[in-house]
Amino acid sequence: MIELRNVSKIYGQSTIALRNLNLQIQDQEFFVVYGPAGAGKSTTMRIIAGITRPTQGDVLRDGVSLLNVAPENRDMAMAFENYALYSHMSVYENLAFPLKASKYSKQEIEEQVQRVARILQISDLLDRRPGFLSGGQRQRVSLGRAIVRPSSLYLLDEPIGHLDAKLRHRMRAELKAMAVDMNATVALVTTASREALALGDRIAILRDGILEQVGTPQEIYSLPQNEFVASFVGEPPMSFLDVEPVRGDGRTALHIQGSDIHLPISPRVAQSLNGDLSGYRLGVRANELSITGQQDDSHQTPGSVDVIEPLGYCNIISVKVGDGTIRVVVDPTTRPEVNETVWLSMDGENIHLFHNEQAIVHPMRSQKVKLNNNIHA
Amino acid sequence: MAKINIDNFVKNYGDVKAVRGASFEIADGEFVALLGPSGCGKSSTMRSIAGLEEISSGMISFDDKPVNDVRPRDRNVAMAFETYALYPTLNIYENIAFPLRSANWPSEKVDERVRDIAHRMELESILNSLPSELSGGQAQRAGLARALVREPAVFLLDEPISHLDTRQRYRMRQFIKHIHMELGYTMIYVTHDQEEAMALADRIVVMHEGVVRQIGIPDEIYNHPADDFVAGFVGEPPMNFIEGSIARVDEKWVFQTKGQMVVLPEHWQSYGQKMPAQVKLGIRPFYIDVTLDPQQPYDLQGEVFLSENLQDNCTVSLDIDDLRLTVVTTPAFRPARHEKIYLKFNPAYIRFFDLQTGKAIRPQ
Repeated sequence: MIELRNVSKIYGQSTIALRNLNLQIQDQEFFVVYGPAGAGKSTTMRIIAGITRPTQGDVLRDGVSLLNVAPENRDMAMAFENYALYSHMSVYENLAFPLKASKYSKQEIEEQVQRVARILQISDLLDRRPGFLSGGQRQRVSLGRAIVRPSSLYLLDEPIGHLDAKLRHRMRAELKAMAVDMNATVALVTTASREALALGDRIAILRDGILEQVGTPQEIYSLPQNEFVASFVGEPPMSFLDVEPVRGDGRTALHIQGSDIHLPISPRVAQSLNGDLSGYRLGVRANELSITGQQDDSHQTPGSVDVIEPLGYCNIISVKVGDGTIRVVVDPTTRPEVNETVWLSMDGENIHLFHNEQAIVHPMRSQKVKLNNNIHA
Repeated sequence: MAKINIDNFVKNYGDVKAVRGASFEIADGEFVALLGPSGCGKSSTMRSIAGLEEISSGMISFDDKPVNDVRPRDRNVAMAFETYALYPTLNIYENIAFPLRSANWPSEKVDERVRDIAHRMELESILNSLPSELSGGQAQRAGLARALVREPAVFLLDEPISHLDTRQRYRMRQFIKHIHMELGYTMIYVTHDQEEAMALADRIVVMHEGVVRQIGIPDEIYNHPADDFVAGFVGEPPMNFIEGSIARVDEKWVFQTKGQMVVLPEHWQSYGQKMPAQVKLGIRPFYIDVTLDPQQPYDLQGEVFLSENLQDNCTVSLDIDDLRLTVVTTPAFRPARHEKIYLKFNPAYIRFFDLQTGKAIRPQ
């Protein structure tokens, strides 16, 4: 197990890259570090690798500090975005280098290089020098060099970020399958939500050097702890509306700001409200809503169509509701007119509710995730 | 605002042929995306429209007037790039006002115009801020506002949002669509991101290696791609391609591959004998049904490589011999590695391409 304990990193006088970070990467885990630019993701990887020394805190393996262990003695394999290939060596020699360094036989080297080259679809490039490769090809060679030999930990910083869509999909699956087959421990950095969800056994979400949440993809997606995580995981991003609770006749509703809409909420959701009257936002995911042209039992919230984005396999409809906008994913044949009134299937039981950006309640179906995880824990 | 004609436009850089004879028309007020991978010629095309590049041959006209010899600043073209360099010492108001002051607008007109555009671009609250005080999204909007303030004949955007994160990208997409709906400018949007092109444009011009491969509305580009390049470039996850041959079996036309076969859909049967012998079948990951039950009718069988649970769907990679296919299915269906899996293609979404030329085959 790799552990980061109270790790902070300050560059120069005051640029805080990481703030009191605590993380544990279990053996044989695929651990994804996800966040926007400047979150501290790469700094985290470099600290684990030993390339960067933390300003405060400790990095431990199985309870023993690594701080005084040189990077080359940590038995970690790295593929960093700007990790330079040896320009005077062919692709084959670049891939063979880590194996030669650990005294593999010629035949083993040949087998391993060919295996990795096949998986990464660079078999036809083995004779070339890095200078004659495209960015995407170089990135695959760099990844290949990291995974060509067994290692206690693979540190991969956006290893497939420069590939075109087709290769990225293919390599994502190859990477995951390889990790599963080899029982490998992997820490991978990404800025793509789908990559994080597809690859991670667990995902850590960083923002501005602070750990926002860590959990399984299901937890992160269904039980986001705050608005940032909710909006940053899943595509299209979650939509939010400012609301204020209104009580009357023993029932509670959420008044959607900028409208005269009152969304009745269930007792379970109402219970999550604290004494405050303001600072609430509700959140809904685009694929969990539907729209109709006519009001009916399950479509009771009116809005007006703002923007239609046809993506081929679906349309994303942005609907203005009060002062806010809700995105809905619909099938490609549903094409309302701009400014047309539509009815949304908002349901006062199945919403995420946030107060001062912190989640206070999740949809009922998300609660099942929690129960399942508790049973399996 | 202007309509634009590109007629047999060629752009060479020395021996490098960046654009090899492109022709298309952009209607007044239309939103057109130039889409393609890096090196396809989309940026050269846009820079030539702006007048930043001299064209090698052909004709570019605005409102039927040739502009080949018109200087960039006299073309009344506004440009926004990914790098939105704002003047760091000027506040946002003065940044936006700058192009108007340079054009000697009277100051009350400047004020009126700056406040109008700031209102439309949701910048009113930060007009007194310096660029260094803005978030990435705000700086980008301010850059767009400065580009737009002069009421250009054409508004050119070169990958304006590609470095933003997902949330900001969705927001900016909506925003750019609003600009177009409200101001009605002729807009040309250069991108390598097929989803951006689909979401934003009235029409898409798909380019590859200096050649225009297809021009069409998003629905045509997605559902009726002209060739296998367009088919594979547009859509994510990308379209599956299966190479095989067309043959007659039991009085039906079939597609044979890897020792298996797919009976051609009904609307293809009468066209079977006109098809080339060697073809590529294309089908998108959304239009394949999969099951683990061999008793169900199926077209092809394979073996599960990996299931990826993306929460809102499950993406299954599977192998038929050495061929890897992708299927998008519901999150509840998550077959294990190496399980046998059976595929049924939705016949309405099967496409065929000539294996030699890559051109789409259309039944008629």
